[in-house]
Amino acid sequence: MLIKDIMETNLITVNPYQSVRQATDLMQRYRINGLPVLHKDNLVGIITSRDIKENHPNRLVADAMSKKVKTVSPYYSIWQAKKLMEEHDIERLPIIENGRLVGLVTKGTLLAELNKYFDPLTGLNRREYLCYKVLDLLQEHSQITIIFLDLNNFGNIDKQFGHVLGDEVLKQTARILKDIVEKNDSYLCRYGGDEFVIASVKPLDDAVSLAQKIIAIMPEQKWPRGIKVSFSVGIASKKIFNNQQIDSAVYDIINAASLASTKAKSALNSLVIVEL
Amino acid sequence: MDKSIHPSRKAEINIQLSEFEVPPIQDILLVGKKAPIGPEAVRQMIDALSPEQYEIILIDHIFFEAVVLKKSITKLIPKEKLLSIILDEGERIASENTLLRAQVNITIQVTRGVDL
Repeated sequence: MLIKDIMETNLITVNPYQSVRQATDLMQRYRINGLPVLHKDNLVGIITSRDIKENHPNRLVADAMSKKVKTVSPYYSIWQAKKLMEEHDIERLPIIENGRLVGLVTKGTLLAELNKYFDPLTGLNRREYLCYKVLDLLQEHSQITIIFLDLNNFGNIDKQFGHVLGDEVLKQTARILKDIVEKNDSYLCRYGGDEFVIASVKPLDDAVSLAQKIIAIMPEQKWPRGIKVSFSVGIASKKIFNNQQIDSAVYDIINAASLASTKAKSALNSLVIVEL
Repeated sequence: MDKSIHPSRKAEINIQLSEFEVPPIQDILLVGKKAPIGPEAVRQMIDALSPEQYEIILIDHIFFEAVVLKKSITKLIPKEKLLSIILDEGERIASENTLLRAQVNITIQVTRGVDL
């Protein structure tokens, strides 16, 4: 998900030689808390309701605005934008393309969008976050391993014990995985109904050890009503070379891991490893 | 006619004429952080009224965000020395909301000895 898909493009702006009072009027009229400041079509600052409170209404916007403005391109991902806004403690992010202001994203809009990619049941991110994270990791690492974990017999658990207990199994599974993954410097998401995915930049052997640990630990847990819970796991690992299309490589590797987990399930083998 | 029914009204006009100083900032202007005009507004004013005669120095100070200095003064005394003195005196009487104008008279005393 990119910033261009959620940015506000119908922008209200102010010029640096208008007064703070005029900027206040604009903010009140349009019920907004910040205005990009444009001089000859170039972004030169941003004035917010906080600046307005701290400055005399007679002042020029140029003397009240924040001049150091963080901007991003429309092709930034929403997670990159969130990271930037948190790092710099900013509430609104102007979007620049070819030197021109083309949009604006507020923290509120961004968080509302990010919530769509968060699974409230398990407290995990959804698959979209994982795709972004893998792309992000590949900017700095040349190898990526995907561990695709598919709960065995989950449809029957739902049918036999009901969806409430089925949800409880998913929540407990997420807690177990989160605990293991956080200690292993890897990234976890809920990929689909009963599928979880871990991305890791560690060597393949380490990823295999991690998967084996997860497979071993699941039956040892105390599950509600003594339900038997286990995983079929597919692992796919790939080295990425400089000229390779990273985007397509990410989807290829997730897909390969998914197919490997299906193979593991149908062969009644708990782990299948594929090197691409 | 009865005056209490029809009161008379008069206007009194007082006029004070004085010469407008160009520019109105004299030698130095200390611009408070929350003053009604900021450094960019001052820049616009001096560019229009006295181009190239003043320098605007942005500073990091408890009360002031800029000092506007007449360039000719800095020929008589180093800028840093003057700034230190003017800020020291300015902060005794000013606040963030103040726009403080200062006139500076500098007298240079020179004594030279010559061989007779």
